[in-house]
Amino acid sequence: MKKRLSDLAFGETGIIHRIDLPEHELNRLGVRLKKSIRMITHQPIKGPVVIVIDGMEVAMGLSTAEQIVIDLEYEE
Amino acid sequence: MKEKNKSGKITVLMMGNPNVGKSALFNRLTGASAVVSNYPGTTVDVTRGSFMQNRENYEIIDVPGAYSLDARDAAEEVAVTILQNNPEAIVLLVLDATRLERGLYLGLEVLEQGNPTLVAVNMIDSAHDKHIAVDSKQLQKIFGVPVVPTSAITGEGLKDLGMMLSRARPAVISEIQDRAQNKAQEPDRPSAVPVVGGV
Repeated sequence: MKKRLSDLAFGETGIIHRIDLPEHELNRLGVRLKKSIRMITHQPIKGPVVIVIDGMEVAMGLSTAEQIVIDLEYEE
Repeated sequence: MKEKNKSGKITVLMMGNPNVGKSALFNRLTGASAVVSNYPGTTVDVTRGSFMQNRENYEIIDVPGAYSLDARDAAEEVAVTILQNNPEAIVLLVLDATRLERGLYLGLEVLEQGNPTLVAVNMIDSAHDKHIAVDSKQLQKIFGVPVVPTSAITGEGLKDLGMMLSRARPAVISEIQDRAQNKAQEPDRPSAVPVVGGV
């Protein structure tokens, strides 16, 4: 099953399946395809989304999170 | 002969992601007291110190952490400017052993610049604790530049790092690509890069 990162529930995990942004600064932060992530914070009122990737927390705006597709069914 | 600055010192730039222990390593090498804390973005300015090894005088510059050479904030701009202003300087690339992959984005960008480079795989003590094994010899083979596991906390690898400063060399990106994909088995100059720890 695939979901937008912005639609992930707290604690949900998956791997990054697709990034629908023409230009972004996510690679330098270690956010790239096939990396496993866990969603830990989704602030209300269009607030930022925080994920854990490689043991590091990375925060991003909701508009960025909406463009990232996460595959929830994957094998370690 | 390595390029020296006006005071006859060889310039060494310490570069790496934020919060990988550059300043702690800097303090260890130079005996200085740069502010160290456990969150990223502590160093936003430049700190200089000196270090002597084999009668060579090095000026070590603690560069603010950056995620990329395509600067996004003031601290990253400082980092990029320092690198551009010192095209001949040795770059000491500091990576976090516990999050090695994350540092490679900036790492390869830095290697692309063509400065003589050596790599410190820092926080190796923390990696040991977390049962993360880092194959620094393989990394050295792929990069073709010296790779030294270090810990600013325990002092592990610092002596090796000091000795390796004089062996820093420019990397060739296309060769790194081939070696990473196993197209070429050995670097061109394997004998010139001694195996760390075996000296």
